[in-house]
Amino acid sequence: MATALIDGQQVDFESGETILEAAEKVQIKIPTLCHAEDLSIYGGCRICVVEIEGERLLKPACATKISEGMKIKTHSPKVREVRRNIFELIVASHDISCRLNCLTCSRNQSCELREIAADIGANQTRFDPIDKGYDDDRSSVSIVREPNKCITCGRCIRKCEEVQGVGIFTMANRGPATVLTTFGDKGMGNVECTNCGQCIHACPTGALHEVYHYDRVWDMLKDEDKFVVVQTAPAVRVALAELFESKPGTIVTGQMVAGLKRLGFDRVFDTNFAADLTIMEEGTELIGRIEDGGPFPMFTSCSPGWIKYIEHFYPEYLENLSSCKSPQQMFGAVAKSYYAQQHGIDKEDMVVVSVMPCTAKKFESGRGEMDQDVDFVLTTRELGRMVKEAGIDLVNLAEEDYDPMMGESTGAGSIFGSSGGVMEAALRTAYELITEEELEELDFEPVRGAEGIKEAEVEIKGMTVKTAVASGLSNVGQLLEKIKNGEEYHFVEMMACPGGCIGGGGQPIPTNQETVEERMKAIYEIDAGKKKRKSHQNKEVQQLYEDYLGAPNSHLAHELLHTNYIKREI
Amino acid sequence: MLNFLKKDPILAIEDYDFTAFKQVLNTPAENIISDIKTADLKGRGGAGFPAGVKWELARKEKSAEKYVVCNADEGEPGTFKDRYLLENSPWQVLEGILISAYVIGAEKGYIYIRGEYVKPIKIFNKIIEKAEKKGLLGENILGSEFDFELELIRGAGAYICGDETSLLNSIEGQRPRSRIKPPYPIQSGLYGKPTLVNNVETLAAAVEIINQGVETYTALGTAESNGTKLISLSGEVNEPGVYEIEFGSLTIREIVEQLGKGIRNNGQLKFVVPGGVSTSILPQEKLDIPYSYEDIKAAGSNTGSGAMIVVSEENDLIDLMLNVAEFFMSETCGTCFPCREGIRQVCYLLENAKERGYLTQRDFELITDLSQTTYLAARCGLGQSSLNFVTSVLEHYRDELLQGGGQ
Repeated sequence: MATALIDGQQVDFESGETILEAAEKVQIKIPTLCHAEDLSIYGGCRICVVEIEGERLLKPACATKISEGMKIKTHSPKVREVRRNIFELIVASHDISCRLNCLTCSRNQSCELREIAADIGANQTRFDPIDKGYDDDRSSVSIVREPNKCITCGRCIRKCEEVQGVGIFTMANRGPATVLTTFGDKGMGNVECTNCGQCIHACPTGALHEVYHYDRVWDMLKDEDKFVVVQTAPAVRVALAELFESKPGTIVTGQMVAGLKRLGFDRVFDTNFAADLTIMEEGTELIGRIEDGGPFPMFTSCSPGWIKYIEHFYPEYLENLSSCKSPQQMFGAVAKSYYAQQHGIDKEDMVVVSVMPCTAKKFESGRGEMDQDVDFVLTTRELGRMVKEAGIDLVNLAEEDYDPMMGESTGAGSIFGSSGGVMEAALRTAYELITEEELEELDFEPVRGAEGIKEAEVEIKGMTVKTAVASGLSNVGQLLEKIKNGEEYHFVEMMACPGGCIGGGGQPIPTNQETVEERMKAIYEIDAGKKKRKSHQNKEVQQLYEDYLGAPNSHLAHELLHTNYIKREI
Repeated sequence: MLNFLKKDPILAIEDYDFTAFKQVLNTPAENIISDIKTADLKGRGGAGFPAGVKWELARKEKSAEKYVVCNADEGEPGTFKDRYLLENSPWQVLEGILISAYVIGAEKGYIYIRGEYVKPIKIFNKIIEKAEKKGLLGENILGSEFDFELELIRGAGAYICGDETSLLNSIEGQRPRSRIKPPYPIQSGLYGKPTLVNNVETLAAAVEIINQGVETYTALGTAESNGTKLISLSGEVNEPGVYEIEFGSLTIREIVEQLGKGIRNNGQLKFVVPGGVSTSILPQEKLDIPYSYEDIKAAGSNTGSGAMIVVSEENDLIDLMLNVAEFFMSETCGTCFPCREGIRQVCYLLENAKERGYLTQRDFELITDLSQTTYLAARCGLGQSSLNFVTSVLEHYRDELLQGGGQ
C-alpha cells in the first residue's frame, strides 16, 4: 500500500490504480465522459483532468496512474475553469439548436452532458453552435444514428469492439472533420451490425437510439378495425419501473399488464408463454439430437443479435443452431394462426406488438422467414414513453393478469430473460422428459450469475450432458473459438447482450453491471415464486398442443415454430 | 562556415566509409551511450529530450525484440533540414540508425519518411538496396554478430505522425493518434516492444560526435546547448535555406541579417518564429539573444525543430494567425476535445475578426481561454503547442490588433 494526497485527503492505493479510482475511495467525484468502466481507457474528452503538484500540464484522472506521494487537486480553480471551457466546446459541437432540441432528444431524461453540466457548474455557453450538417444514418431497421449529436467520445466504438467483439464503428477523417462512422460510411444497416444496441447504452448523448415503432403502434391502437395484441418479454417487467424512478430490480408485471390494457391493447399476452412453448420445441429437438447423435453442440436461437452474429462470423456452425424460432416469433406465429382461428379474427386485421428489451428484435420481426407474424416491436424504453404520454402512473396501478390462452407461464419461461435461463429451463424439462422422473433440485446454480462464460455438466439417465452458456458477443466468440479448437458440448446457450436480455439494448438507461445484477435477482425471484416452474407444466401450452399443434416438433409445429438461417457476408 | 552536419553530398557508397559505425562495433555500447550523454545531444525533432538518456533507457529494457525508428516525417511548417540530410547525407543518416540499433540491441528498424518527400524517399530506397548488397544491412553486418533489417515507410500526409506515438500507430496500420504516456515507447512502443525513436538530425549528429570525439563537440556551443544545429531559415529573407550554426555563436537578428541577408525588398522585420509554427513568436525587441536552447527559452519561446520563419511588417497579423490556426485545425487527429474543438473555435473567431478587420475584447477573452485550456488539457504535444503562435501574437500586438489589424 502506498499513499498520496487528493484534495488534502490521504488516500491509500494499490499499484496500478488510476487517480480516478483512488479519488472515489475518498468520496471525490471527478466528472468523466469518454470513460466507462467496462471499456478501455481513451483519454479523449479531458473533462477529468486534474492538477498534480510539480506538473506543468493537467493530467487526465482516468488515464493517469496514481503514485507514491503525489499531491493532486481535482477541483482547483484552474481545473474547474478548464473543465468549463471544454464543456462549452462540447456543447458548441453537439448541435444544440432549435432544430435539434434537447426536449425531443431520445436522451432527454438520461443525457450525460446534462449531468456533466450540473457537476461542473456550467453557467454559460459562449461559443456559437457548429452545424456539422451530417445526414442521419437510417439504414438500419433497428438503430438510428444521428451524427450531429455525436461528440466522438468513442464509447460506442469500444463497446462494439471490446464488449461485443464485432467492431462496426470507426473514426474517420481528422481535425474538425473527425467523424464516427461505419466501414466505408455504408451505414449500420449495411455492415455486420448485429443490432444488439449495446452502443446505445455506451453513448452519453442521443446520437444512437432505436428505430421508433411507438408512433405506428399508437396509430394501430386508434384504428378500430384492428385487433391489437401485445406480448411482453420476460426481461421487461424487471426493468420498466426504472423509467418511473423506481430502483433497478423492481418487479412490475401486474402493473405493466394493467398499463398496457389502459393504453388500449385488445389483449395483453406474455412472451413467457411462448418461452415455455420454445422449451417444448427446443427440448424435444435436443432429445432428438441426443438420440440421433448430433449435430452437437446444439445452440439456442432466442437471441436475434446472436443469430446475426453467427450468420456473419461463424456460418459454418449454422446447422448447430436450434431450428426453433425465438419466443417472440413463436408467439406471433401462434397468435396469427391458433388464436385468430379460435376467436374468428381475420389474420389481416390482427396486429401483433411486442415489448422487448431488445433492438435486434426489430430486425428479427422483419426477417423474410418470419412472415410478418410480429408487426411492431417496442423497446422497454419506448413502452415507457407511451405510458408517460398517456399519463399513466404505472408503478402505482393495481396489478392485473394476462389474458388467457397465451398468458400463462411457468418459472422456466420467466428466467429466459437472464443469461443461463434458457439452459436451466431446458434442462428442467429435458430431464423429466428423458428420465420420466421428477426433478427435485430445480436450481441449476452453475449456469446462473453474471459471468460471461459458464459451464455445467448434468447427469441425465446415465448420460453426462455437457453444457455451456455465454452472454456478450465477445464471450460468445471466445466460446465458439473454444468449440472450434475441439471442446465438446451438447447444448450451448448464447445471448448477444452481457447478462442476457435483462442487459438488452432496448432496456432503460443506464444498463450496466449494477442494474443488470439487480434485474437478474428479480428474474429469479419471479421464478422462485411460481408454483409451476417447468415449461411442460404450462396448461395453456398443453392445451395448444392438444387443440392445434399435436405434439412438439410435429409437422404443423415445424411449419409455424421453426425457421432457417442465412449465411451472410462479412 | 562550419560543416559539422552540412556537407557536400555523398551519394555513392564507395565514398562513405562508416568510420563511426565501425568504431562502435568495436566499443562497448555503454561507452558509446556515455559519450552521447556527455555530449548532451538533445533530440533535434523539437522536444529536446537528451538522446543519450533515451538510448540508455532503451538499452536497459529487457526484451527479445526491440525496434529503432528514424523519424523523418518532417512536417512542422518551415522545417526542411531533415530533407537536406536525407538528400545530401543519406549514408550518415543510415549510419546513425545502425549505431542506435546496435547500441540498444535492436534487429529491426524503420525509417518513416514524410510522404511528400518524393526525392528523399527515392534516395533512401536506393540506399537501403545498396546497403543490403554491401552487407551493411542484413545478417552479420561487416562480419560482426550484429543483424539488422531496415524498412522504409512512406507517410501518408498527416502532420500528427511526427509525434512519435502517432508515428508508431501509423506504422502498425492504426489510426494515427497519440498514445497515452506512460508507457513511453522506450518501454512499450511498436507492437508493444521497446522502441527507440530518433529524429534524422539527432542520428546524424550522433555519428559526428563519435567521429570527431566528444571533446570537439562539447567545445562548441554554450553552457546548456552543445555543438551545432541545423536551422531551416525561411520567410521574408533574401537567402532562405538550411544553415548550420554553432549554438550561441550568433544572435537571432544576426542569423536573419548575416545568413538570411536581411529582409526581402528592403522590408522591415516584424517578428521571428524561432522553432516552427508550434512555437511562440519573438518580437523585434527580443531578437538580440544568442541562438541557444536556454536563451530562447528565457525569451519565452522554444528552439523547436529549428525552423526559423522571418516575418516582415508587410503582413496582416490576423491573416497569419488564421493561417497557422487553420493548419493545426486540419492536422489535429480529432481524438481529444480541447484540441479538436478548441482550435476549431479559434479559427471561427479569427475568421470573423478577419472580416471585421480587428479583434474585439471578447475575441481576446475567448481565444485566451481556449489557448489556456488547449495547452493545459490536450492529449499530446500537437494540441498543447498548437495555439502558441496565436497566443504570442495576441500578447505582443494587442493594441495593434484591437485597433484594426495593423493598418
